[in-house]
Amino acid sequence: MHMQTGKTALANVLSAGQAGIRTGAVLGLFASLIWFAQAALIATLLAGLLAGDLPVSPLFLGGGYLGLAGLRALIASSAEKKLFNAAERVVTETRRRLWVQETRRADAVQGGPGAIAALAQEKLDALIPYLTRYAPAQMRVRVIPLLILTIAFWHSWAVGLVLLMAGPLIPVFMALVGWAAQQASERQMVEIGQLNDLLVDRLAALSDIRLLDATQPAIAGFENASHALRHRTMAVLRIAFLSSTVLELFSAIGVAMVAVWVGFALLGEVSWGTWGSPVTPWAGIYLLLLAPEFFQPLRDLAAAWHDRAGALAVAQELAQREQGAGQVILGTGAVQPRLVGSAEIAMTDLSVLRNGQNLRYPDITLPAGATVAVTGPSGAGKTTLLRLLAGLERPATGQISVAGQILTDDTADGWRAGLGWMPQQPHFLNQTLAQNIGFGQVPEADILKRAGLGSVLATLPQGLNTVLGETGAGLSGGEARRAMLARAMQAHPLVLLADEPTSDLDAETAETVMQGMLELAATGCTLIVATHDPALIARMAYRIDLPGAGGEL
Amino acid sequence: MKAVLHILGLMVRDQRTAMIRGAALSVLVLLMGAALLGLSGWFITAAAAAGMAGAGRVFDVFRPSAMVRFLALGRTAARYGERLLTHDATLRALTSLRVRLLRGFAAQPWEALQTLRAAQVLNRITADVDALDGISLRLTLPLMAGVITHLTVMVVIGWLVDWWLAVILTAIFLVGAALVLVLGIRAATDPSRQAEEQAQILRSATVDLIQARRDLVVYGQLPCHLDQLTQTQVRRNDHLRQLDRIERRAGVSLSLTAGIAVAFAMTFGGLLAQSGLITPAAAAISVFAALALFETLIPLRRALSDTGRIVQAARRVTAVLPGRIPDDPAGPVPMGPLRLTGVTFRRAATAQPILSDFSLTVAAGETVALTGPSGVGKSTLLQIAAGLIAPDAGQVMVGDCPLPGLSQRGLRGVLTYVPQRAALVQGSIAENLRLADPKATAKQMRQALIACQLWHVVEPRGGLDLLLGPGGSGLSGGEGRRLVLARALLRCPAILLLDEPTEGVDSATAIRVMQGMRTHLPQTAILLAAHRPEERAAADREIHLTRS
Repeated sequence: MHMQTGKTALANVLSAGQAGIRTGAVLGLFASLIWFAQAALIATLLAGLLAGDLPVSPLFLGGGYLGLAGLRALIASSAEKKLFNAAERVVTETRRRLWVQETRRADAVQGGPGAIAALAQEKLDALIPYLTRYAPAQMRVRVIPLLILTIAFWHSWAVGLVLLMAGPLIPVFMALVGWAAQQASERQMVEIGQLNDLLVDRLAALSDIRLLDATQPAIAGFENASHALRHRTMAVLRIAFLSSTVLELFSAIGVAMVAVWVGFALLGEVSWGTWGSPVTPWAGIYLLLLAPEFFQPLRDLAAAWHDRAGALAVAQELAQREQGAGQVILGTGAVQPRLVGSAEIAMTDLSVLRNGQNLRYPDITLPAGATVAVTGPSGAGKTTLLRLLAGLERPATGQISVAGQILTDDTADGWRAGLGWMPQQPHFLNQTLAQNIGFGQVPEADILKRAGLGSVLATLPQGLNTVLGETGAGLSGGEARRAMLARAMQAHPLVLLADEPTSDLDAETAETVMQGMLELAATGCTLIVATHDPALIARMAYRIDLPGAGGEL
Repeated sequence: MKAVLHILGLMVRDQRTAMIRGAALSVLVLLMGAALLGLSGWFITAAAAAGMAGAGRVFDVFRPSAMVRFLALGRTAARYGERLLTHDATLRALTSLRVRLLRGFAAQPWEALQTLRAAQVLNRITADVDALDGISLRLTLPLMAGVITHLTVMVVIGWLVDWWLAVILTAIFLVGAALVLVLGIRAATDPSRQAEEQAQILRSATVDLIQARRDLVVYGQLPCHLDQLTQTQVRRNDHLRQLDRIERRAGVSLSLTAGIAVAFAMTFGGLLAQSGLITPAAAAISVFAALALFETLIPLRRALSDTGRIVQAARRVTAVLPGRIPDDPAGPVPMGPLRLTGVTFRRAATAQPILSDFSLTVAAGETVALTGPSGVGKSTLLQIAAGLIAPDAGQVMVGDCPLPGLSQRGLRGVLTYVPQRAALVQGSIAENLRLADPKATAKQMRQALIACQLWHVVEPRGGLDLLLGPGGSGLSGGEGRRLVLARALLRCPAILLLDEPTEGVDSATAIRVMQGMRTHLPQTAILLAAHRPEERAAADREIHLTRS
């Protein structure tokens, strides 16, 4: 069951590259077949030297060998190209799908952004070796050992028997090892993501950690986690190395037995093992040259089997994320024309599940241009209400209607086209301040002034072109909040949703932000603010007081 | 390359014995491989010759056949040991390197830490250090082992077969490999660097996009930001394809090198044998050895595609790798009130000082509130008092001890500063609190949480074991803020500096938090930057800062 879901998931991931992989695998097989001719040339040379009856000069044989080697290299190269392109297509498309899926999540991202970054980057890249190696190895395994076995039996049943005995043991062992490797590899993959998350997390808190004089223990904690990861990695590698060692052992014993038998047969020491006539020097040398190639595809497949284990783990994580993608936002998050009609908002029978509890909201209708304070103790669902109103979360029950239409996937983007949004934690993209405010539009000078950003810009090294840190490092709390206000104003919203817009701010700055919002309200914009700030509450015409967790209205 | 050598030096110093043993085993594996095929080829050909001559009875079959078996088994065992040893040593060396880097970042000045973008540092430490494993595993060890093997094989073939044949055969391999490596690295450096850069951009943009996704959705920016990511990916793919082409060409060249070597051994060995200068069995040795030596070329292809990435990573890591981090001893803990005298501070850009000639004493048990508009310098003053930035003039003293004379750790022992945006970490409530005091008991932690009005919130959700997500997510803004305060209380500081301590906390709770903290630390000198009435009400006196 466990394996089955992994396989299905992997098959889904692969579908985009199937055709290219097939072509590449067939070409790869052709390249491998050329060895049969190369080996024949070597056998002809050595047998001819032994008998002293070389049909042509060694120069021709050497030249022929070189020509075949060149041909083989070129065909192998074009096979690799086909395989790489197919793998690239698969990885590129999967990555894009993952981005879309994770950014449209309504609930918190599982494992944090570091885990997603690790999955989207190095874990998906880890699919490439599987894609380029597994299918070709499989193709070779189907053809080459059988072909060599036929040639071996043709010349000597003893050699054929040796190969026949040693060969099938390999896949049996491989399956056992592959299974163990997959489990170990899954554990390791999980841990890589966790270590990355731990590292991002600790680095983000590094300055606090230092203020608490906790640098030593925090580094020690990280060191322990790194060592734990190393142990896991080594556990995976040990299985991988052990299995390839055993395969190598089978192949080495097989080749050694062939060599010894052929040697003894050529000496005339053994008379059994052939179909009557003794084995010729040519056949003996040819068989010795082919024997390693009998095992090689099996070993390649075993190596690729480990890539497969890694790929299965990645595919499974992808599938889990897809299945666990619980709630998604309403709509697509694209630019759409605004909904027609006045920005009236009505909530009926609205509730959400939060920490296993049912949070109910009152039935309320807000006329366009209303100014509303959403209040209540921490955890009462203020932020959630703002997200519901922006179509960023879906209610458990009830509905919201906006501008006379029910807020659905079809209407959400149009509704949001008229929204301004000020989150509680300002988050800045790793781009310039101008980009963060205007998203491609040049921020209007008037808006910057009204948001109280003018004096801030003067102190920034490159003004609007300053690149900010992700929580707005370089800006104070008040400055970051004003930038969020400017961004909201730049959208010329019909409704402004603001989460604690005056927290972190002193009275004077809070006043600037409040004035900016009220100016927007004066133009007819609806204001909905979640806040504790009595000064802000007093400026709002309505108040929605949420009773807190478990409370009934 | 200098950076690569520097890191290689660090790695070898860290894991000297394991690396040397690993290198010796790598050589052994390659040599045994060449010996196995060479011997097998010789054995069969010589056996055939003896059989034809009717001399089968006198031919010594047992020593060669035993040797074939020994080499087959020994090579397999050596391979296993070599892989385990080199991988483990490399991973160990990399862990040391990672910790060293983190320690280097942690020792950076306060301001530098503030602007550190977690996503970028993540890139640096994880991706760059991960790439460095190639220095030992894919560059140094295979190259070294390959060259030693070729030279050894040359001597053996020269001795057993023919010196000219041996020297030319070795020359074909070494020249071919060197050409592919030098030309390939030159061609691959640029695309490899660019692909890597774009991978880093993709990674940090992914983190950015996930974190800001709600904002982007509201402003209708999600699809165009996804498109930007996709375009970066397309550019990266172009470079990856270019790299793949270079790598494939290198593959063809390496195959051809091996092909030329075998063809040469066939031709030259064949001609020598035809003219009777060597036996056909000796010719077989050189042909089979040449076949086996292809194994030494296989890692080059991988080395080639990784070199660009490795060199870049090594350069970046070396640039931030700290030389020697000075020890920061715990030092004596000073006693007494917090005293600021004549403190003046300018932001570099503006000539006008933010603070000029500012003096203040906060006695034990006293609470002083700094008020005034945003940007007036309240936070700056707290950072000066905390010893995080140095004033342009004047000084800060704890008792009679001026701050510059104190070690960082000594200062943290007496003084705790809670900045405006204090961060929490992923883990349980207890793990967060234990950052402040690793030896804190459950009772102490509970009391700190009670003082900060948080115990009744977390108790029904698992108490001290309640798990928080990255950055302390899982608590609301106000709850997180109170956890930060409880954490500060566990330091039991003589001086507590708070920057807007109750932001995001509702009014009634804020008043209780301020009272709770005072009751919890009755003897502490508290200096806070305040603008909420609830915070100001808790102060014994207020100092209003105005723009100078």
